[in-house]
This record gives sequence, structure tokens and C-alpha cells, in this order.
Amino acid sequence: MKKIGRSKGFALTALVAAMSCAGFAQAGITDKDILADQMTTDDVVSNGLGPRAQRYSPLDKLNAETVKELRPVWSFSFGGEKQRGQESQPMVKDGVMYVTGSYSRVFAIDAKTGEELWEYNARLPDGIMPCCDVINRGVALYDDLVIFGTLDAKLVALNKDTGKVVWKKTVADYKEGYSLTAAPLVVKGKIITGVSGGEFGVVGKVEAYDAKTGDLVWTRPTVEGHMGYIWKDGKKIENGISGGKPGETWPGDLWKTGGAATWLGGTYDPDTDLLFFGTGNPAPWNSHLRPGDNLFSSSRLAIDPDTGKIAWHFQTTPHDGWDFDGVNELIAFDYKDGGKTVKAAATADRNGFFYVLNRENGDFIRGFPFVDKITWAEGLDEKGRPIFTKDGRPGNPADAKDGKKGEPVVSAPSFLGGKNWMPMAYSQDTGLFYVPSNEWAMDIWNEPVSYKKGAAYLGAGFTIKPLNEEYIGVLRAIDPKSGKEVWRYKNFAPLWGGVLATKGNLVFTGNPEGYLMAFDAKTGEMLYKFQTGSGIVGSPITWEMDGEQYVSVVSGWGGAVPLWGGEVAKRVKHLNQGGSVWTFKLPKDS
Amino acid sequence: MMTGISRMLTGLFALFAFSYAHAAQPADPLESVMWDYTREIFIGDADYRFDTSIKVEVPSFAEDPTQVPITIDARSLKGRIERIVVWADLNPIQHIFNYYPGDRASPKVSLRIKVQQSTAIRAAVRTLNGEWHIGYAQLEAAGGGCTTPSMGNADPYWQSHLGEVKARRFATDDMQGTRFKFRVIHPMDTGLVDAIPEFYLQQVELKGPDGEAVVRMELSPPVSENPVISFDLDDEREGYRLWMRDNGGNEFSRVL
Repeated sequence: MKKIGRSKGFALTALVAAMSCAGFAQAGITDKDILADQMTTDDVVSNGLGPRAQRYSPLDKLNAETVKELRPVWSFSFGGEKQRGQESQPMVKDGVMYVTGSYSRVFAIDAKTGEELWEYNARLPDGIMPCCDVINRGVALYDDLVIFGTLDAKLVALNKDTGKVVWKKTVADYKEGYSLTAAPLVVKGKIITGVSGGEFGVVGKVEAYDAKTGDLVWTRPTVEGHMGYIWKDGKKIENGISGGKPGETWPGDLWKTGGAATWLGGTYDPDTDLLFFGTGNPAPWNSHLRPGDNLFSSSRLAIDPDTGKIAWHFQTTPHDGWDFDGVNELIAFDYKDGGKTVKAAATADRNGFFYVLNRENGDFIRGFPFVDKITWAEGLDEKGRPIFTKDGRPGNPADAKDGKKGEPVVSAPSFLGGKNWMPMAYSQDTGLFYVPSNEWAMDIWNEPVSYKKGAAYLGAGFTIKPLNEEYIGVLRAIDPKSGKEVWRYKNFAPLWGGVLATKGNLVFTGNPEGYLMAFDAKTGEMLYKFQTGSGIVGSPITWEMDGEQYVSVVSGWGGAVPLWGGEVAKRVKHLNQGGSVWTFKLPKDS
Repeated sequence: MMTGISRMLTGLFALFAFSYAHAAQPADPLESVMWDYTREIFIGDADYRFDTSIKVEVPSFAEDPTQVPITIDARSLKGRIERIVVWADLNPIQHIFNYYPGDRASPKVSLRIKVQQSTAIRAAVRTLNGEWHIGYAQLEAAGGGCTTPSMGNADPYWQSHLGEVKARRFATDDMQGTRFKFRVIHPMDTGLVDAIPEFYLQQVELKGPDGEAVVRMELSPPVSENPVISFDLDDEREGYRLWMRDNGGNEFSRVL
């Protein structure tokens, strides 16, 4: 029995409810709170510390001088036998932390003491099909609701005080391979979500739901040829085919199962009033089956949050043949160029290139490799389109003698990417992006495949290998103006956790070896580390409570690396699973 | 913070129990060690009387502790009923259901429950004028009904049939009205089995043709998997609808 309420009965529950209303009444979270999140240091109410997801905090009590005094104040266990990858970013509001665990669980925790207030466990069917571990990346907060996506592709809104379900909506059919793992985004009273399932030939989409009622507002497919819809006064109205019409950049019927899953969620830029969503790999992986650019796979889409229309797109890997699944977050930032402010946005792609785009229209400003080795492209042209390397693409199985296995190639980065899901941070002080990246290659070959509902739709075989003996992970400080790497930190295991930058000249991240680490943002010197007991693959946050600065991070090794890592998996197989939130603070007197 | 407060309150209730309530109230005819504790939870320190006109029918021995048929029949109680609270003293989750009869309901309800061991079953009936009448029965049972994984856990049938209802309309035993009996597919997981979260129907409403709630129930996880429930009504009208919602937020609705 986890809940005290029910076992102690109704009279008591009512009393407790009455007392919590009287003593702890708090206003619900508004759009304004979310837009201001980056600058309001006493809470964290959005994924990425603000809708742009810069993961930058203006707090500076904790700084390069004081960080050595940072100490743990509590650790909270997610419990049970469900200790799998913990990729969540906690949220904090009015002294309560809201954090998700593996297997679609949500916990509300007293942020001062680490004591549980409530938990919600989704009852998942056996047939869920997450490709890459049973992870979840966090909740959204709006009004008095805590909203998250489940592995059976449902959006669930819980009451923030009780954890009871207020509404629940099916976003897609899990039996076709859909699931939800990203933290939803809240923009103008709407919950914006993508879907996972690119390995199963789903059709990616971005959808907006009314945050208070859960009613669908619009749906935008991310594969060319599919109709979008908008709901007005309860009526479903056609809202334009994505890309205009089918068959422009896809052969035959392949667009019907074209992938382009929006599995990492998105960001929002209030300046341009645009949502930015990355889209994943086209399906199947075997690119010889689908000649053409395969829009809008492996792209960044700018979407109007009111109408769900695509404002612009930028494709990082046209005709993706390597699973360079370009979902990576696009982070809005401004910089000065000759006295002029450039409204830019940056993204570090799975394919190994870092892109700076004009966020008003999607125009390419510049791009450069952020990893040491890229085999599949020689570079980018003036529009940002890759210049493909001859023979860089795995061969067509139809050309093989037996027609069963195409010519394999060695490709870098590997399909797990120069950078995978783990979000980078942008420091407004240094003007640098802090990019968690990995140096690895793969052998990849194509095989024939045909679509079957709910079955893996790859048509490829692969195995990953490290490029260096000493390290795979590299945390890089990258200057988006020059493309220069200012510093790097090398890590033995692949990096798989998010990054946080602060005004205290600090950069935080965790590693699979279990350490929460803090670096000097200018020099890359490691100033602090703490062993959390299991691998860190989540994203750290910082906030202020009672005049003290806190840092929290989830710990719990897992995610895609141990499942798909090939030779790399050997480097991490000794790492133990876990499932906990660690919270640290800088005590007042230090 | 809620946990802290509820602990404090629990402590307060315990104090009351020992200092005041204990002596003045009637003793439990079943001599259950849990009576004072569970009574405190469900009816607080209100006055009450044990009342044999409330029938709590249980089998002589519960062969299958995960599916024990019980019937609560409060039709011969004088006075209008506000609610009936039913619990099992020795279950790890004591509460089974609350029943709220509307104008056309006849206060008789049958369903199947889970029991963890032999236990007293209580049906506390609160009348509109605020009196508590307690019906009771001793149920002898083999153990383990609440901590056995649901059958649904071994068979994915429920996943594609969740909330499906089979319902029939009968004449009542006294031929005075209508009886609805329905069965709904739901695993009713208690949360007490490792790695299976609690997942159960919480709300059941039988709505009359005008949309009014004729019977309302609040269920807890000790109601058996794939619940079978029958209600009696003083009503011959057609057009009834059954509405249910589980703790996962799934809603089910069906015309009977």
C-alpha cells in the first residue's frame, strides 16, 4: 500500500484534502510561468528550463568557487523491480518535485525532505513496443495538472496534489508500434506532443491537445502526403496535406509507412511564435527501397502552434540510409554579428554535423562537424545539404548475388549518433553550446524487408564499435559562431545524459559510470563529481529554495546503449541498474 | 507534506480511540481484533448499532479467495439510506465498496470480492438521519486473494477487451422490480503484487433513462477481477445506462 489516503479511509482523506487546501493553496501554473521559467529561479516548470530549452540557469550562488561545497541532501528511490533507464528531467514547483521513472511512472516528492507525496503507475499492456528501453523523459505542468506520455501512447493528466487521473487520451495505437517517451511541451494552453515508433513504420506526427480538457486541437503528420486536421467547435476540418501531396520525395506507397517519428518532443520560441520539432529516420532503414529525399524525415520542422501548419523545414539527412534519425532538439538563441542581432537556432545532429539556422525562416547559416570522424558526407553545401561520400552508403541487397545482404560499409558516426537524445545546453554568458557527444562507428548492411503492422521495419543489420580505446563520450564546448571546439572532456563510456549550464560559470552533466560532474564553463576543468550509485542518463536541473541553491538529477543506467550497443555494450555491461533522484544543495553557510 | 499530516491525524485518531470511544460503544459480536481500528477508519467516532436486519450473505467457505460471492441486502432496514460502506476487517486493503442508492434503487447489491484470509465482512449503513447500522458476517476462507496476480496478468486477453460489458436484466427475487447483472472485463489489480501497479475500476454508475444516477458505487481493489455486480431497482423503465471509470482514467459506458 503506497497511498496512505485509501488505507486510512475517507474521513481522513477528506480532512487531509481540506487541510492541504487551507494551508498550502497554490495558484496553478500558467503560460506566463512557463515562458518566464528560465528567469524564475525558484521553480522549474518546463522541460529544458524554459520553452527554448537552453538549459541555462541565471543562478550563481553555486559557482566555480563554491561548487566544491555542493552536498547531497536526499536521495529518493523509484523502488520496485522496474529499474531501467531513467532519462527524466525533474520539475519543481512550490516545494514539490515531479519526476518520472521507467515504465511510465510519475512521482511527486517533497523537495525539502525527499519524502514521497504520491505516485502514479500506469498499468501497461504486455504488448508495448518501445524500441530503446522503457524510459520516460519527464512531465509537463499546467494549471493544477501534471501531464505525461505513456509507453502505450497515451497522454495522462494527473491532479498535482493527489496524483489522480483527471483526463487521459490515446495519442496513437501502441499495437502499431507507437509509444510516448518525451516530455510534453506546453504552449498557449496546449499540450504539444510527438510520437515514438520510427522502427515500426509508423507515421510521425505532432499533436496539440487542450491542456485542461485533453481535447485534440490539431494534428500534423510529419511524412509528406498525409492530411493534417484541426478541430473547430468540435468539428474535424482538413488542414492541408503535409508537403502538399504524396509521392514527391517518396516512391510508390512507401510514404504510407514513412516513419519520421517525433520521438524527442520539441521546443518553442516565443519570439517567432514557432514550435521546433525534430523528425526521426525514414522507414525502413534500407534506403534503397525509397529513393528520394523522403520528406520530412530526419528534419527540423517549424510549426505554427495555433494552426499546426508547417512554417518551414530543414532536412539534415536527405534520403537517410544510416538511421541518422535527426530528432535532435533545436535551441533558439540570439547572437551578434557585426552589431546586428541574429535570431538563430542550433542543433547538433545524429549525423555528426552541428547546424546554425535562421529560426525565422529555416535558412542555413552555417554548419560544421562536431565529432572527430564523419565518413558518410564530405561536408555541407552552401544550403546545408550534405555532400554524400561515394560508397558511404550501405549497399543495395538487390545488387548482391543472393539478393539477401547488401555490401556492408563502416560508417561514422554510428546510428546511435554523434549526439543522441541527450540535450545540450547553451550558456548566455559564454555564448557556447555544451554538447554531449560520442565517438563511435558501425558496420551496417541492408537487407530486404517488407512492412508488417507492429513488426520492426528496418531492413538493416548493424554493429557498433568504439573509435578510441580510451573514450567514447566527449562533452564538448562549441562556439556556434566559429564552429571551434573550445574544450572537451573525454569519458570512457558513451555519454547519454543531458547538460545544464549556469551563470555560476558551471556546466553539469552525468555519466554512465554514475558521476554527477560539474565543469568550469570556460576551461572545461572538472571541479566536482559525486557518485550516485548507478549510471546517469537523465538531465540535471537547478533551482533555489529558502535562499539556497539546489541541484537534482536522476540516476539509473539504461536507455538504448546497453540494448543496441554491439561491441560498445561490453564497455558498459558491468554498470548496474538503479532508479533514484539525487538532490544536492549549497548550504547557506558555505 | 500530505503524508506528514495524515500521520499526525492518524495519531490523533488513535488517541481518541483509546480515551473516549472505546468504552461507550457496543462490543463486536464477531470479536474481531480489527473492529475498533476499521470502524474508526470508516465511520469515525459516530454512534452505531449492530443490526441483523441488514443481511450480509457469504458462502460457508470461500473456495476461491479471489472470487467470493457476497450479497448485501438492506431492504428490510427502516429509514432511507444515504450510503452503505462495505469492508473486510483482515484484508490488507480493507475497503471493498461504497454504495449510494438513488430514489429508484432497492438497497440490495451482489458482487464478488477477494479476501486475504478468514475475516469479518461489514456493511455499515448510514441512514439519511445520520444513524449507522452495522451488518456483519464471518467469512471463512483460504488465504491469498489480494496478493495473487490477477489471471489477466498471465493472459493478455484483457488488454484488447478492457471495459467490455455483458449485462442482463432479470426480475428480482420478490418480483417487485428489476435486477441488472453485469460483468465487465477488468484486471482489478491490487498493487500488492510485485511489479503490477494497482489498476481497478473506481466508479460505477447506473443511470436512469433521464440521465439521473439511480445507483452509484465507489470500488476498491478487493472487488474481484472481471467484476460481476448485480443491482436491484424499484423501477420497470427501459433505457438504463452503465458508466464506469478506472484509476487509469479509462471510461466505459454502455446502454443496458
